[in-house]
Amino acid sequence: MSARDERLHQALDGEIDTASLPPEQQRDLRRLLGAAALLSQGPPGSVHHRVMAALRQPRRSPARRLAHWLTAPHALTFAVRPIWSLALAAVLAVVAVFPAHGPGPVLSAEEGIVQFVGRFPSAHSVDVVGSFTDWRRGIVQLRDDDHDGTWDGSVVLPVGHHEYMFVVDGEQWVTDPLAGRYVADGFGRQNALLIVRPAVATAASARR
Amino acid sequence: MMPLRVLVLAVLAGALPVQTGNSRLRGRVPAEALPAVDSIVASAAAAGLPTEPLIEKALEGAAKKVPPDRIVSAVGAGAERLRAAHALAARGGSEPSDGEVEAIAAALARGLDADLAARLAAALPDEPPGPALHAVADMVGHGFHEDSSVSLIVSAAGTGLRGMRLLDAAAAAILELQRGLSHAAAIDAVRHQLPDVPLPPRPTPVSVSHAKRVPT
Repeated sequence: MSARDERLHQALDGEIDTASLPPEQQRDLRRLLGAAALLSQGPPGSVHHRVMAALRQPRRSPARRLAHWLTAPHALTFAVRPIWSLALAAVLAVVAVFPAHGPGPVLSAEEGIVQFVGRFPSAHSVDVVGSFTDWRRGIVQLRDDDHDGTWDGSVVLPVGHHEYMFVVDGEQWVTDPLAGRYVADGFGRQNALLIVRPAVATAASARR
Repeated sequence: MMPLRVLVLAVLAGALPVQTGNSRLRGRVPAEALPAVDSIVASAAAAGLPTEPLIEKALEGAAKKVPPDRIVSAVGAGAERLRAAHALAARGGSEPSDGEVEAIAAALARGLDADLAARLAAALPDEPPGPALHAVADMVGHGFHEDSSVSLIVSAAGTGLRGMRLLDAAAAAILELQRGLSHAAAIDAVRHQLPDVPLPPRPTPVSVSHAKRVPT
């Protein structure tokens, strides 16, 4: 080791004042101190650095992890065969054009819609039989899809007067208790009386 | 002298509704009732009355397994009501439509007195009596006095309500009654609303989308 190096060592160890060094040795000293600082930091962004930083983080709660998963961006990749893509597009087109329950029938100005509702908890079938069915059964059958005992159905009928009764289980004739209008049937019972109004009537036309 | 071709057409035109009714009745209406029902239907057709309600009444009796004599009796009573309805509807001098006659007959079948019906028709000379009669029948069916009911419906017509809208005036009075008003107070309340009585509720979108046309 030269005398010059000896003085650098002493300056690095703090044994002598750096101002006492000649200018070229002060320059060398600054280089040595910069290199030491770089070595103490380690390489920025290294795998080791990032792994150790992650290990030092406290474990998140499940709720926070879920929130992070939901909000963080994810890359999703789908691999679909073109034939299946075309099949899916065809199915969507059919559903759009022919929905399960469309907007319903197109009504003329001389037609209206009537909804029948009856409560028959123990019934197996409920028909609406009336002048609009020529008093035949099996034409307007009510449904109880959820088996709660309430039977209902909607039909399109011509505007005007119609008489009807419910026929429960094919043989029991029952007057609709909710009809509001009744007429003697001439056979000792009461028919419900419907007055069907045009479904397409507006408030203005209905006033006429 | 009437040409033969015209005579044949006239006979066919008169017989057609009866034949149509016959074909619908045969096999469904008891054979014992058929001659009498045929006779009543033919007589109604000859008088220019609608025959469809009579055929329907016979089919109804058969569907309900009513004895033949009661079917004939009910069809005869229906023909009488149609005659009364036709007379009422034709008071203005013009020939009423079948629908109009049927509407009035249905109102009479609800128990309206013939004199009251005539009074109402006279009070509304420019109005087909069917809807007005049913409006009064609606109210009478809920305990309103006949005269008060006629008065309200005539007032409603006087404020510009026409046709089926007269039923809404009756419905408004019934609604007030169901809300707890007395009959007189309900009529007063509606009289103050006129002519702005509510329209009937429109069918729900679900009931419209599920509605099926009855096959004819």
